[in-house]
Amino acid sequence: MINKKFLIKKNTEFKKMSDQIKITCSGCSLLCDDIIIIKHEKDIEKILGTCLKGKEKFNQIISKNRILNPLIRKNNSLEKINWDIALDKAVQMINNSIKPVLYGLSNISCEAQLNAIKIARKINGFIDSNSTICQGQVLNFASKIGITTMTLTDIINKSDVIILWGVNVVESIPRLLSKILFSRGKFRITGREIKSLIIVDIYKTASFNVLGTRDLALIIKPDNDIELIRFLKKYCREEYKIPAGGNSGIDKQDLERLISILLNSEHISILTGQALIKPQGEGHPMKELLELIKILNKYKKIGRVSLMMVGGHYNMVGFEHIALAETGKNQSIQFRNGKSVQTEETIISKLQNQDFDLSIIVGTDPISHFPAAISKNLSSKPMILIDNKKSGTYLIADLILPTAITGIECEGLAFRLDHVPIKLKKIIDPPNNILSDAKLLENILMKLE
Amino acid sequence: MELFQYLPQTNCKKCGKLTCMAFSLELLKGNVNIEECTPLLDESKYQNKYSKLKELLKGEEGQKRELKIGIDIVKCDGCGICVTICPVNARYCYSILSGKVADYPPDKHQLFMVKEGKCELLSIENCRRLVTEGKERECRVCETYCPRVAIKIEYI
Repeated sequence: MINKKFLIKKNTEFKKMSDQIKITCSGCSLLCDDIIIIKHEKDIEKILGTCLKGKEKFNQIISKNRILNPLIRKNNSLEKINWDIALDKAVQMINNSIKPVLYGLSNISCEAQLNAIKIARKINGFIDSNSTICQGQVLNFASKIGITTMTLTDIINKSDVIILWGVNVVESIPRLLSKILFSRGKFRITGREIKSLIIVDIYKTASFNVLGTRDLALIIKPDNDIELIRFLKKYCREEYKIPAGGNSGIDKQDLERLISILLNSEHISILTGQALIKPQGEGHPMKELLELIKILNKYKKIGRVSLMMVGGHYNMVGFEHIALAETGKNQSIQFRNGKSVQTEETIISKLQNQDFDLSIIVGTDPISHFPAAISKNLSSKPMILIDNKKSGTYLIADLILPTAITGIECEGLAFRLDHVPIKLKKIIDPPNNILSDAKLLENILMKLE
Repeated sequence: MELFQYLPQTNCKKCGKLTCMAFSLELLKGNVNIEECTPLLDESKYQNKYSKLKELLKGEEGQKRELKIGIDIVKCDGCGICVTICPVNARYCYSILSGKVADYPPDKHQLFMVKEGKCELLSIENCRRLVTEGKERECRVCETYCPRVAIKIEYI
């Protein structure tokens, strides 16, 4: 009797919640897979659980900045054209060029990235992604030294120390700290009480507000990260006294605490951002940090030290994996006669030397991000833009092809920041029957053949 | 906390409470008068503290006050730290334990929820400051760990 009552109650509840969908957000590289959406017929009614960054992605559907028709530039003004004419024009522009360049590719699905690499192989072009000037450099060093990584689930369940080195997580990826630091894991049941946080930065960012009494805040002098890492390496290798004046702007007391935490805790995960990517003096801080992690892991009896790169674009890691599988190189790939050849060049050196005659930009905005001299070179040659919203590059491009938003209007595969592949879902139909990135690039490839 | 500094801090138990901290919390809520703390009146060394306490409360002692948790919607960016860290939320919604979004419709005990990119206060009835198991709780986790300094706990 009791069982029957329970069953009836459960069924009615299920009917009420039938229009609930769980989706994956494609706002940033964290790819939160627990967002709840409540649909009313064909429209989205409520979005639960996203941060402001993810909410902004959903606002783009009906935004004023959305591009809905293919456009062509004639006499310094944009004109609407037919899809067939637009595709023909794109193929004609590609066929006329000898040294085309493809750039961007971090804000599209893996299927689209594969098609873009196929196009580059077909037209003997040069292809590069945003990771060249971002976290891709870390993987270049890792191929020589080696890297220890952890997935997000590992960090939630196991890690007891989290180090933020040169990254302001609160402002760049808002939900990351609530997932890894404040949650309660399998072996860290008390959550925030047992996990400690260390922040290394050159000034007080918004992330410093999260610090508790057991945590450590280190404010160091600018461009002195490399000195601190070298000091820690020296200390771990042999008996070494801490200087009375401290090191690189940190006093002796804090250094002692930092060393005791590094040597005595179990699982340490280090999150790094853009700060350690540029070279400091003669050396490179990222290279030194990877060596420090190697030494610490040799010393530790229980647990390990791991590194996680915090990037912004939602599928930057995906390009590295797809390109590595397809060509044997993770970035800056030059094709000749249908084969990838060895080059030292990157997208920056290509643009600096004006060694190109056509640029195809996919899902990014280089005109407003690159230095003025380089973006001037980029704007001097013909350009095809494939994107879903207006940007600085939109004002200069000669041919503009709109696409649907991946994760909302079309499906696809993307890689999270800890190298875990996640499927993105389709929720609503795109306006004006716009094609997805993957389909559009496939159509161009078919026409080229 | 400011009120606690001006009390004797000896835990003499003459007021009937276990500690001076508990007395200061009752004083904040308006459940007791200052005069119930007899050492403040009798001993001459506490005279300064007594006058300062009177100044702080401005004669409003004894009036009952209500707890208010204010959320600044302009500053909030929906990071969900308050949802995850609140002990009451985590006790009743299993998915919040691992930092995930809670089920919808929310549990009746739930305090915070993130909706349309902003944090929302659902109900205050089950807050740890009000519902206690025989002991006073000076819980301020949502206020201390908010990275945007958007949450404020006060008695009005």
